[in-house]
Amino acid sequence: MDFKKLLNKDYIILDGAMGTMLQSQGLKVGGIPELLGITEPDKIVNIHKSYIAAGADIIYANTFGANSYKLADCGYSVNEVISAGISNAKKACKDTNAFAALDIGPIGQLLEPTGTLKFEEAYEIFKEQIMAGKDADIIVFETMTDLYEVKAGVLAAKENSNKPIIVTMTFEENMRTFTGCSISSMALTLEGLGVDAIGVNCSLGPKELLPIIEELSKWTNLPIVIKPNAGLPDPVTNEYNVTPEEFAEYILAMNKYGIRIVGGCCGTTPDYIKTTAAALSDVKPAAEKKQIPAAICSPTLTVVINQPRIIGERINPTGKKLFKQALIDNNIDYILGQAIEQVQGGAEILDVNVGLPDIDEKEMMVKVLKAVQGVVDVPLQIDSTIPEVLEAALRVYNGKPLVNSVNGEDETMSKILPLVKKYGGAVLGLTLDKDGIPKEADKRFEIAKKIMNTALSYGIRKEDIYIDCLTLTASAEQEAVLETLNALERVKNELGLRTVLGVSNISFGLPNRELINRTFLSMALMKGLDLPIINPNVASMTGAVRAYRLLACHDKNSTEFIENYGNTTAEIKTTSSKDHTLEFAIEKGLKGDAKSITSKLLETMDAMEIINQIIIPALDKAGAEFEAGKIFLPQLILSAGVAQEAFEVLKANMAKNSDNSISKGKIVIATVKGDVHDIGKNIVKVLLENYGYDVIDLGKDVEYESVLNAVQENDCHLVGLSALMTTTLGSMADTIKLLRSNNCDCKIMVGGAVLTPEYAEKIDADYYSKDAKQSVDIAKEVLG
Amino acid sequence: MIKIEKINIDEALRYMGYKKNINIDNISSLLNTCEKNLINSAKLRYCYKIFDIEKSSENIKILNTDLTLSGKSIYNHLEDCNKAVLMACTLSDNADRLISRLNITDMTSALITDAMASTMIEQLCNEAESVIRKELDIKNMTWRFSPGYGDLPISIQKSFIKTINADKQIGLTVTDSNILIPRKSVTAIIGVSDSPLPQKKRGCAICSMNKTCQYRKRGLHCGF
Repeated sequence: MDFKKLLNKDYIILDGAMGTMLQSQGLKVGGIPELLGITEPDKIVNIHKSYIAAGADIIYANTFGANSYKLADCGYSVNEVISAGISNAKKACKDTNAFAALDIGPIGQLLEPTGTLKFEEAYEIFKEQIMAGKDADIIVFETMTDLYEVKAGVLAAKENSNKPIIVTMTFEENMRTFTGCSISSMALTLEGLGVDAIGVNCSLGPKELLPIIEELSKWTNLPIVIKPNAGLPDPVTNEYNVTPEEFAEYILAMNKYGIRIVGGCCGTTPDYIKTTAAALSDVKPAAEKKQIPAAICSPTLTVVINQPRIIGERINPTGKKLFKQALIDNNIDYILGQAIEQVQGGAEILDVNVGLPDIDEKEMMVKVLKAVQGVVDVPLQIDSTIPEVLEAALRVYNGKPLVNSVNGEDETMSKILPLVKKYGGAVLGLTLDKDGIPKEADKRFEIAKKIMNTALSYGIRKEDIYIDCLTLTASAEQEAVLETLNALERVKNELGLRTVLGVSNISFGLPNRELINRTFLSMALMKGLDLPIINPNVASMTGAVRAYRLLACHDKNSTEFIENYGNTTAEIKTTSSKDHTLEFAIEKGLKGDAKSITSKLLETMDAMEIINQIIIPALDKAGAEFEAGKIFLPQLILSAGVAQEAFEVLKANMAKNSDNSISKGKIVIATVKGDVHDIGKNIVKVLLENYGYDVIDLGKDVEYESVLNAVQENDCHLVGLSALMTTTLGSMADTIKLLRSNNCDCKIMVGGAVLTPEYAEKIDADYYSKDAKQSVDIAKEVLG
Repeated sequence: MIKIEKINIDEALRYMGYKKNINIDNISSLLNTCEKNLINSAKLRYCYKIFDIEKSSENIKILNTDLTLSGKSIYNHLEDCNKAVLMACTLSDNADRLISRLNITDMTSALITDAMASTMIEQLCNEAESVIRKELDIKNMTWRFSPGYGDLPISIQKSFIKTINADKQIGLTVTDSNILIPRKSVTAIIGVSDSPLPQKKRGCAICSMNKTCQYRKRGLHCGF
């Protein structure tokens, strides 16, 4: 089908509700309505026909929930149900000008990280539907609430068909979907992925959807789709409160926002469609092209680059021993800690670089991106030199990312720019080429121009092209500093592109680096730097950007600045570390003091002494009080948290001084497959770590094989498994079975709310751990 | 719209194993912070539908749907009723994300917030129940009975959600191991009758599972 040709019409009319029509014919609630396409095809064909007669140009086949998850155990395959659905729709379209759409709704399971369905599994589920619907004219995703799920669907559609794609998502009155996806994020992401039309369906009536459509119109030049409910349902009778005439009136009120594709959702009937189509025949679409803001986004947060925004640089192993070790150990939590700390420090975008020679960068990048997006809302900059890594990252990124980077070399651009285009990212170009970084500003400007023109030729929007004129260290090339800034200024003013600079490099090899960095940052901001890449945990750097935004009149009424610095006096600590010992801090749970006290202790004691003579006895004391019922779990964990801070200081110190390990042995822990309750496991982890054990945390919903592999690869002699549901105890038993059948030389301890000592014994565990404290006792017994 | 401005801290402390005489001074400010952050994060949503029911051979049929409730416990629960309200409540995935984040940055706050969220979802259920009572003008209703209580299988979650359209109404889903996602969510059945209902006993003593129950063995309770 030629969608562009169909768009020559002023308005494309869609159909109305299928479910409403079926229910009025006595369909049971909760059944699988898609099966009627097989059992009662005539009913379905007649409903389609009534919509075509009412004026629909596109009818949605009765395939909304026909996916392998929802059809499981119904006796029919996805292929059978969808083929029947499409064939009924086609039958109704015969001898008319109407087209049949493959209609795809949400899978019904929430995707990772909140849910357990993997992005890749969602892709396969959609792919099966797309293949089964090969005879449809167009593919529609509707009633979507999770942007990540939509992305999986759109990729599946794009890679397995060449049909036009329409996507509509469902928003609440707060302009968000259930999973928090904003309208701007939907538009930026889906337009980037190359869908043909986007819009809104269901949840609300046309009146309530008006502000949502108004917002959407600011973020896209694609044809806008609107498929509202027939008003709001009465909570008791379930009847909708908007008549066909009112419905049409509200739709007309939205015309100024560029709506082009119009139909109805729950509660609408052919009457609504007919009345609306008639009303639209008297008007013309609003044709105005808008300037869409330069922005990148996660599902929940859109960062508009209309003023300097801070990119946090800390997720990067270069020159960081602990970070490198975390990558080697697969310690994702360490990286997540870095992510959260930077956001709290003021980062608005995070750079993510996990390149290390000894690891599988692609696998790590995918893992880290998913995990980071699970805990922070800020959009990410994907940082790698390897096209395969970038592609894998672009696939699984949820939202619109910034890709770091291409440069002026033709080969690099020809590999990376098509990926940026396909996945709808923004791209950062470095002003260097095969001859290296030119000394002169003019030559860097020329490379920037070349990158811009090449990116444009791939169909990448100008607003999505960013240029980094490259900071050289002032100690080595002092004259180059101003060249960089001059190049930046020209790129900004003459090419009209947004600019990026890694700031921290400038001071390498000089004393008082912070002062140099901050001064250079202020100079660059004045020249037009949009995205400084800095360490946001350094207060003066973040402060310089915020002060600039105030002085340059971006921060209206100084709101942001006052919010951040208005009551700094409150931060003065009430206690001073001089007042007490590390034992006291651990016992009382005094966070914030442990680090300074530990640093001080290191002047007179070595790390092992501190651990064995102070930390462990203090924790033992807290543990004994816990067992005696004098303190309860949060207080035990609080003490452990203080010990953890002390440990961080010790580990950093060890990393700096020698490779001596402070490990007392390795322990693999996991929440078993199918289970997502991980808080108990995490508590166990904190306690074990504080007793000096290296904990390899496999996370939640962990495959049996992953546990086995981790045990074998790490030559680990103790495994802790957690399950909280009676339904997942079976996976615990199976995990143990697998470990046993592979003759792993390891002891297994198990815990979790529904476990009993008897059941632990029955499933062949060595230890039953009734709480976190006991897991430490077990570790002491097994590993010493 | 239901708003909860105060979390029942005593109840949350009980979830965390608090006993009288423990001095909690060193976590009291943490409790306040966690409460405030959770209240700001959680998005309270609920939905419900009322159905006629039919009792037959120890099963309860939810009429005009594909859902059948099996087991002695639910039969006893609804024995004197002619209708049932199926309801679902959730704090939405904002609460899950908050707790995940705290799991990385501060385990103590994670633990406290998790317990508070468990308390908050019960409070939401209570509020939703009074709204339902008012909206449907119900005179006599039973307490809330959830899938997984007694011998009512938890495997009905998927079809329960579908029956009241809870995925579309409030974004509630269920995993293959019958865990509700978002995590802090509840589904429940309330019996409705035209005539006054006898006070029903609840608790392990009258439960048909009391010999084999995993919760009971641990000294825990499913909620029945």
